[in-house]
Amino acid sequence: MNRCIRTILVATSVALLAVPAFAADTLKVGVQAPITGSYANEGQGIENGVRLLAEQINAKGGVMGRQIEVIPCDDQGTAMAAAICAKDLVNKGVSMVIGSYTSTCAQAAQKTYFKAGVLQTSDGTADSLTEKGYWTFLRNSFPNSAEAEFVANYLVNVKKYQRIVVISDFSTYADGLANAAEAAIEKLGGKVVSRDKIKADSQNFTPVLTNIKSKKPDAIFFAGYYSDGGLLRAQQMALGIKADFYGGDANDNPDFAKLAGSAAKGAFIVNVPSPNVLPYEIAKTFIADYQKKYGEMPPSIWGLMNIDGMRAIIHGMEQTKSFDAKKVADYLHNMSTPLPGITGQIAFAKDGNRKGGAYVVKKITADGTYVNEYVQ
Amino acid sequence: MDIFLQQLANGLTIGSMFALVALGYTMVYGVMRLINFAHGDMVAASAFVGLTIYTQVMGQAATLIAVITIFLLSAACMACVGIILERVAYRPLREAPRLSAVVSALGASLVIQNGIMLIWGPRMRIFPELIPQVYWDFGGVVISLIQVIILALSLVLMVALYLFVEKTRIGAAIRASSIDQDAARLMGINVNSIIALIFIIGSSLGAVGGLFIGLYYRGITFNMGWQYGLYAFIAAILGGIGNIPGAMLGGMLLGLFKAFIEGYVSSTWADAFTFILLILILIVRPTGILGERVAEKV
Repeated sequence: MNRCIRTILVATSVALLAVPAFAADTLKVGVQAPITGSYANEGQGIENGVRLLAEQINAKGGVMGRQIEVIPCDDQGTAMAAAICAKDLVNKGVSMVIGSYTSTCAQAAQKTYFKAGVLQTSDGTADSLTEKGYWTFLRNSFPNSAEAEFVANYLVNVKKYQRIVVISDFSTYADGLANAAEAAIEKLGGKVVSRDKIKADSQNFTPVLTNIKSKKPDAIFFAGYYSDGGLLRAQQMALGIKADFYGGDANDNPDFAKLAGSAAKGAFIVNVPSPNVLPYEIAKTFIADYQKKYGEMPPSIWGLMNIDGMRAIIHGMEQTKSFDAKKVADYLHNMSTPLPGITGQIAFAKDGNRKGGAYVVKKITADGTYVNEYVQ
Repeated sequence: MDIFLQQLANGLTIGSMFALVALGYTMVYGVMRLINFAHGDMVAASAFVGLTIYTQVMGQAATLIAVITIFLLSAACMACVGIILERVAYRPLREAPRLSAVVSALGASLVIQNGIMLIWGPRMRIFPELIPQVYWDFGGVVISLIQVIILALSLVLMVALYLFVEKTRIGAAIRASSIDQDAARLMGINVNSIIALIFIIGSSLGAVGGLFIGLYYRGITFNMGWQYGLYAFIAAILGGIGNIPGAMLGGMLLGLFKAFIEGYVSSTWADAFTFILLILILIVRPTGILGERVAEKV
């Protein structure tokens, strides 16, 4: 009887030990993304992309012999669900987390991953994401300040505008971007003749624009949203202000051109490139594979940015020949040669920010389509 | 100087839209002593109705005839809505305390606003570019064709309304109903028809205002009526509520006031100053600029 119990105990403990040992053979990749909710489109794009990349890597024998197992968690685009996802994914023993899509969700989950020593890569653009000193966080997109620097360089050094006007609304994003752009323009020796603010949704911007007209600007940079940007552009042209109009990334929406009507022609939009114009070979192959598997284009560049983050972490593991998060992070923070990626070269700064930028300036043509004017 | 003139032109354009909408408030108040809070939302609804007429009925043709048809059909639609509104929300409460009618008006406002959202959706809709983008530059002051149309058409409508109320027999009946409904009834005036007529005129003018908003600003949202309704309401009080020339004057003055505050002070403070103006008017001259001081009926 005693022996019988002992046998069962031994068998059970062997079995219990064997399960984690067997599980260690797969590399668990968590996906924290808004799979439902307002950003479901983007969240599903991230999950689909991660699954496709995992499939491709697994077909080639996995990461140093370990097959990738994808574990998704839906954060619904809310901070509360994101915090729960983070705990859940850590408990399931993931080695890295891809996501989330929004800065808010990435931020809510950040600390949990940091405490557990799990690498996280997100496309959130809020500057604050990398300001907390979490070594586990790797930003695979570019922060808002990078857009400001790109815009400043383009306006001052490339186009050599002499009299620049910067406009924003009162939101955190727009005001932050406009302030950063103003500072960057002045740092490069450009002249900001006016820094104006409009009230979002107030529709009538002619009083502010009339004042701007008297400053005789040659360029206007608007850091707000498309719903105001389109009207601003239309009213700018109606007042006969002959400055070139540049809209920040939140103006990249088809409604911008519809609102501006015939005034949309000749306006410029600054943003990261859309997936269909990525010039890199690796991008073309991946997007073709994506279309073949899912029958549609990736919803936006952001999902692809996340895929690049995942590729970078796996690259780090292979280079260091280790699954140790700290070692991989140290390697990625000090990469000497950047990794060619779907969305451009990938390398990280010490604070976890992705180095460089991949912005484009798009010009709106008469029929409302976009053509690339300048590629970083 | 050219900045001043440009702000003047901007102010007059938005002012004439405020004035058109304010007329709806002031006419209803003049006869019924009721603030029709649903009027702002009727203005918003007319922009959506106009958009639907353009896409569904006119087949997206941007001709002069199409534009005129859109204006006439939208005004007719909104006149019908106005009559229904009066019949359903206000007539049953005509003998009730004034507060009940005001609450009913607020309820009607919510019903119309949410109705727009249910029919046309919560997203911003884009109005077509029906008026060609033509501009004239007078030594730095730029005036666009649409501004001229808005100003001219508003003035024509306002003068016509003034003449109608002051010179015709029906106008006299409206004025009589406004002074004393019971006495007017004794004189053989059908007050119910007069009130229906008031709603028809007010709603049609509001419809024209709504279409101007759509044509001028292009982007229309289901909840924009609240904003324009509020400004028009302030304009009506500024000029003297119940007084038709007062609403026109109040609208123009408010438009100019907003343009100059936004242009010379700050766009952040425009609304704050507008409400400070409203409070000052109510303290210093509660009956408005053109309003007459009348003793409260006891």
